[in-house]
Amino acid sequence: MSKPDPIHGEFLPGTLSMLILRTLARGPLHGYAIAKRIKDASSEVLAIEEGSLYPALNRLLVKGWLTAEWGLSDNNRKARFYRLTEEGRRQMEQETHDFDRMVDAIRLVLKTV
Amino acid sequence: MSWTNELSNRLRYLLRRNRFDAELEDEILFHLEARADELEAEGMTRKNALLQARREFGSQARIQEDSRSFWHFQWLEDLLSDLRYGTRALVRNKTFALAAIFSLALGTGANTSVFSFTMEFLFSDPSVTDADSLFVSRIAGRSHSPYREYKVVRDANVFAGLAGLRESEANWRNGDDTLRIHVLQVTGNYYQVTGTPLLMGRPIQPGDRDTVVISYPFWQSRLNGRADVLGRALVLDGRPFTITGVLPRVHRSLIGFGFSPDLSVPVLNEETDVQFIGRLMPGVTREQTLERLRRASEEVDRVYPRKDAEARALNVRMYGVHGLDRLTGERGGPIIAFFALLMVVVGLVLLVACANVASLALARAASRRQELSVRLAIGASRGRVIRQLLAESLLLAGLGTAAGVGMNLLLTNAVSGMALPLPFPIRIYFTPDWHLLAYSVLVAVGCALVSGVMPALAATRSDVQSGLKQDARQASGGFWNPRSLLVAGQLALTVVLLATGLLFLRNLNQATSMSPGFDVGSTVWANMRLVPERYARPELQTNTVQRALDELRALPGVEAASITQVVPLNDSSDMRAPIITDISSTEPVLRMNMNRVTPDYFRTMGIRLLDGRDFTAADRLGANKVVVINEVLARSLFGSARAVGHTLGWREPGGHTVNRFQIVGVVALSKYRSLGEEDTNALYMSYFQTDDPGSSVAFLLRSSRRPEGLLRQIDRTLGSIDSSAAIEVKPMTDALGLAFLPSRAGAALLGTMGALGLLLASLGLYGVLVYSVNRRVREIGIRMALGASPKQVLRLVFGQSLLLVAVGCSVGLGLALLATQPLTMFLVPGVHPTDVSTYLTVVGILLGVALLATAGPAVRAVKVEPTTALRYE
Repeated sequence: MSKPDPIHGEFLPGTLSMLILRTLARGPLHGYAIAKRIKDASSEVLAIEEGSLYPALNRLLVKGWLTAEWGLSDNNRKARFYRLTEEGRRQMEQETHDFDRMVDAIRLVLKTV
Repeated sequence: MSWTNELSNRLRYLLRRNRFDAELEDEILFHLEARADELEAEGMTRKNALLQARREFGSQARIQEDSRSFWHFQWLEDLLSDLRYGTRALVRNKTFALAAIFSLALGTGANTSVFSFTMEFLFSDPSVTDADSLFVSRIAGRSHSPYREYKVVRDANVFAGLAGLRESEANWRNGDDTLRIHVLQVTGNYYQVTGTPLLMGRPIQPGDRDTVVISYPFWQSRLNGRADVLGRALVLDGRPFTITGVLPRVHRSLIGFGFSPDLSVPVLNEETDVQFIGRLMPGVTREQTLERLRRASEEVDRVYPRKDAEARALNVRMYGVHGLDRLTGERGGPIIAFFALLMVVVGLVLLVACANVASLALARAASRRQELSVRLAIGASRGRVIRQLLAESLLLAGLGTAAGVGMNLLLTNAVSGMALPLPFPIRIYFTPDWHLLAYSVLVAVGCALVSGVMPALAATRSDVQSGLKQDARQASGGFWNPRSLLVAGQLALTVVLLATGLLFLRNLNQATSMSPGFDVGSTVWANMRLVPERYARPELQTNTVQRALDELRALPGVEAASITQVVPLNDSSDMRAPIITDISSTEPVLRMNMNRVTPDYFRTMGIRLLDGRDFTAADRLGANKVVVINEVLARSLFGSARAVGHTLGWREPGGHTVNRFQIVGVVALSKYRSLGEEDTNALYMSYFQTDDPGSSVAFLLRSSRRPEGLLRQIDRTLGSIDSSAAIEVKPMTDALGLAFLPSRAGAALLGTMGALGLLLASLGLYGVLVYSVNRRVREIGIRMALGASPKQVLRLVFGQSLLLVAVGCSVGLGLALLATQPLTMFLVPGVHPTDVSTYLTVVGILLGVALLATAGPAVRAVKVEPTTALRYE
């Protein structure tokens, strides 16, 4: 089975944080798992670079949308787990809603023009 | 709120940033191992898997930096790192840093000191509670009104409390000495209404008649700071008083302007005129109170009617006891103007200092071109480098201002509370507060911008390519680089400063050499303040002063003795009224200086009698009322006709009765109020024709030898006539100090500022010339190798210097001509702001300084060995 080429680098602005928030909606995860989950879920189309993942996580921490705490990973290593806060959940819903509207609008334009 | 959340998150970060860095590292380590595990599971060796994971991960430092950046207060971090870097840069170049800090310290020291003085002198709050609700009130257009009128207003429910006060003098009998001291007469409720705090004891209370509250300096210097001072008796004007309280060390009286009387006593006499100070009723506005004050003054009109005078309510005023409100209320225009002038002048001095620092910074930027070019080349934006350079300026300005404020604190602390050498008690207390702090911060930031922006822009403009080369020296621009422009600007400002300073010096010179129209050198002024209660009947005083005059005249060395009510140039009394004469039906309105003098006054003062006669002993109460007028008044009233023999007069205030006098003499013009006045009308009445001569008697004596030798004898003679009188004897030359005070203060202050500006500008000029010669060592070497003579090289160097001075001076002269125009109001006649000699002197001084500053660099240039110069690195 040939894998599709992953899209590296730039996402649409703001989408990375939305993806991270959405990924964490199902429960706390550590950084590596977040990247992996996004990659798997997108059938390996969206490859998040570490260079943008960790700064993005820190940005969300500063905003108060995530909290972080140390725990043990599946193979018993010390890992930092991120958890969505109540405010983060609201933010995620807002961003998802905005994103859906934008995608719909773009589709509409692509169909009609 | 999310942004407060964010802020607290960031603040938490600031406290534990080390832990944050460690955690981020752990997290990245975990990431790498997790990826390596995966790769290992796909069949790689552990070692290769770790290497592969690292490769995929990319620059760890970059990720750490990016992650951290979200938590930073970016600008603060940048500023801190810029300041750290700047400190290192300054430490590396100590000479530059010290020169810049020294320049700025002088500028800011002068600037903040004038600021402190202005704030304390003009804007300090009096020592009362809630100064905002206290108001000075005037009725009938008078600053002081009789005590009985005060009582009517006090009881008219206008203010929550109305106090009265009056500045006056008293004789204090201390052992065998009688001293004249300055007292504040206050109504019994004064302390209660104003809420003046005391250091110890209790204030004067309503109903008190023999209590005094003394000032701290009086307690310390006159009563030796004795701890048991409360309850002690003081004999004032022959009456015993008990000290009940002492004011705190720092006490600012309600009179303001640093006026600090020695003590306060209750108002004892119903005839005393007092100034009204009222406390607003809670909830009543100023306007409503003013309206009530009007109604109260109508009440005063009913109780104490004045015939044919306008209603007191027509001229009613209220103004605050502090701030601008008081200054405008007291019509302090000229004082404000003088302080504004001072502020402008010290502002210019600071500007010159900033220009110095800027030109130093430019020179330094040139030698730092390589460093800056490297920073720009490796990707620093121009804005970032400019910010870096500005941070250095801020550091310099901060240090310079701190040193300047240090100088200010030393200076103000030294003079705080000192009695100024004036005939009235002025003490300025300096209490540095947030005003000074805020002003200093403002000054520091201003200095940083003024001295930093231009050099920073200039330093970062040069292109990276040439800057990276060692040989940047050769890439110098023309002579008209920003540095030369700065020096020219500095010179221009210095011309303005020097012109102002010189103008005031010439003013002082003119004022001291100006003849007041009377003799000063051989005149003695003996002031005898009699205790009023001892001379209840006027003839008692007349007898005493007549006896004193006779005894003084009998002293060996005394040529003439007389009494004057107004000592010219120390005191003044004038009147403005329509003057009625017997030769004309018109009544010209004239302002005249008034005085009452005894026979021999004109001889004592050396004022020439032009026509008619002097007063004689016969011009006494009951006799025909006579006046002597000066030549100016004679001309205004009678033109070229003879004045002697005619009569003049004026109506009594508001009344129809005419006060008529016969003119018996005409005397020469002299100065009355100030040295600056010109062609003033003056009128003298006979001292013995008044029924109210006042308790202070001023004897003027003319001595045939040096007056200093006579002082003791005069003192003893007067003391033997009335031992309860306070006697002060001084040569007239000393007494004229007050008349010269404005000229002296102006000359001292502005002269100092001019000298300071000149010093700073010369340093700047010297610096720029040394620098420009150093830059051109190689060029000069080539010129000399090609056969230029030392003379030609000298011409080159001096030519540059003269060009700078010429440009600076011409701009400065233009500015100075404009800037000194408004100064006319401070100058005595005969000194004009546009005076050519002032400007010639200024240009001369600057030329001299420029030549001196050029000499060093020029000699250096001539001594350049062509061979060394060519190899010069």
